Amino acid sequence: MTPGRRWSCVVLALALLIGLPLIMRALPPRDSAIGASALLDRIDASRDSSYSGYVETLGTLQLPVTDRFVDVGELFGERTRMRVWWRDENAWRVDKILATGEVDLFHDGGGTTEWSYEQDRGKRTRDPDIRLPRTADLLPPELARRLIQEVSRDAVERIRVRRVAGVAAPGVRVRPGAAQSSIDHVDIWADPTSGLALRVDVIAKGDKTAALTSKFMTVSTETPDAETTIFRRPPGAEFVYDDTLDIADAANQYAPFRPPGSLAGLKRSPSAQRAVGIYGSGVTKLVAIPLWNKAAEPLREQLEATPGVQSVAEGDVLRVGPLGVLLTRIEGYGGGWLLTGTVTKSTLVRAARKLDARLAQYVVTVGPR
Amino acid sequence: MIGVELHKMVRDRRTWVTIGLLDALPTLVAILLAVTDLGPRPGTGPAFLSAVLADGKLFPLAAIAIVLPLFMPAAVAVVAGDAIAGEAQSGTLRYVLVRPVGRTRLLVAKLVSVVSFVLLAVLVVAATAYITGSLLLGNQSIAATTTSVSGTALSTQELAGRTGLALVYAILSMLGVAAIALFLSTVTESPLAAALGTLAVLIASTLLLTLDAATSLHPYLPTRYWLSFVDLFRDPILWRNVGRGAGLQAAYVAVFLAAAWANFTTKDVTD
Repeated sequence: MTPGRRWSCVVLALALLIGLPLIMRALPPRDSAIGASALLDRIDASRDSSYSGYVETLGTLQLPVTDRFVDVGELFGERTRMRVWWRDENAWRVDKILATGEVDLFHDGGGTTEWSYEQDRGKRTRDPDIRLPRTADLLPPELARRLIQEVSRDAVERIRVRRVAGVAAPGVRVRPGAAQSSIDHVDIWADPTSGLALRVDVIAKGDKTAALTSKFMTVSTETPDAETTIFRRPPGAEFVYDDTLDIADAANQYAPFRPPGSLAGLKRSPSAQRAVGIYGSGVTKLVAIPLWNKAAEPLREQLEATPGVQSVAEGDVLRVGPLGVLLTRIEGYGGGWLLTGTVTKSTLVRAARKLDARLAQYVVTVGPR
Repeated sequence: MIGVELHKMVRDRRTWVTIGLLDALPTLVAILLAVTDLGPRPGTGPAFLSAVLADGKLFPLAAIAIVLPLFMPAAVAVVAGDAIAGEAQSGTLRYVLVRPVGRTRLLVAKLVSVVSFVLLAVLVVAATAYITGSLLLGNQSIAATTTSVSGTALSTQELAGRTGLALVYAILSMLGVAAIALFLSTVTESPLAAALGTLAVLIASTLLLTLDAATSLHPYLPTRYWLSFVDLFRDPILWRNVGRGAGLQAAYVAVFLAAAWANFTTKDVTD
């Protein structure tokens, strides 16, 4: 064989090795005839579905974070790899895969256990009404379910089919109806048979790329084995019970405030009846958390050092992609209201103004902390 | 031919000096951990190192995690880079090829010799780490269970099985390095240049893995899945990256071995 032929063989083998997967990936998947409303209904109806798989999320939001918000900052600002086994809403497990360990959530009807391999520790908590976002909230089916709540069927349109985790998934675009929203649209691709959401992209107003993407890399709609979702305490590991899950739960339980029934034109959610207020629905959400001094001041320092922050009479306000953050000052109490959500800056300022002007009305007990 | 090359590799003093140096670092780490009782903080340092103070049986894995990112590939690059270029530099390649053996057979024999070196190095590091881990570190009884990364209990048999798989995976991970170095060894007559060229590829790969802009390239980079052996200790085992890592190494071996064959079989050998 001549040198030319030998090298031709090598180049041909290389071309096949690289080219074949690329060609397979580039082949357009067959689209489904399902309409936008019907697909949305199917996604909505899939809430009781069982599934398992490998999920990757990519957040591009560089949020100002302190110790109490590290997990949220990572969740919305980094790539997160997860494994999920979801039997139903009362029996699931989500593992956050780390290079040298993992942090797992095991959920049953009585609460959630967090297992951290690297800390060799399990932590059992109840499931409070109000809490910070966690890994399980960003699974495509869970994220889609939250985002399409109360979405008008007029505000949806079909988008092109896409191959997700090997499934030819028809897509639907949801545009928020509320003027207060900072989100331009949300794209959801779902399994046409089960309605299980397989990929969700959230795009902010004025942006072309997704601020947050959550997608299955592999998926199965078979019911996972019950044994997989049960946590058994490892011998020798530390195990603790905690009354409060995170800072939002603590503020909701103990802060001496009651926020108003509506803020900036958004109604308070019936599930938020204590100190933390949740306003709006679906794609447009605003959360008001009263923070005590020890929690508010480090966050204020971080916020003030973040590029793009704006100081207004109501506090420091920042927009990172579709997320707005405003931290006010509560005179006489110390700390401040942390207002955050998928709303515009002007909505945050209006909300802060209302909280500030009617503050005395929400104070149940007074005393600096 | 293969027997001759294997015999040469085993009798070569450099083989044992290289393996000794590879072995020295994990042994030093074990001694330091035993003396100071100070493990790395959870989530920092090589995989499993924070757990070995409680369970010394995990030290073979920690030792592999210590040497796999840099020292093992450097050793493989030196040995494989020397395979053909070393003969050329010392002027023996011409005489080797005078024997009635084909160049393809010589290349295969060199590859088998390099793979055997990888096998030997991984086994020696793991065996030494098992002894030092058992003697110096966590004194959990041999019958006690070990906790998997997912918090489930692993029996001694399960731990042994998964450790065996991890060692096989570590060996597989080095095959791509060996193939690249062997190819470069056919291109140049300087073993040093072949080894440095291989290390340059690996350093570039490691650098690109830290760059978000290169995300689309990540699945094809040779170092991408090296540390995925940790996935063998999740419960259930996460096969996704282990399978991809093995497949990627197979692709690197196929491509660079073919290139080495195409280059070496038509090369003018004058030294």
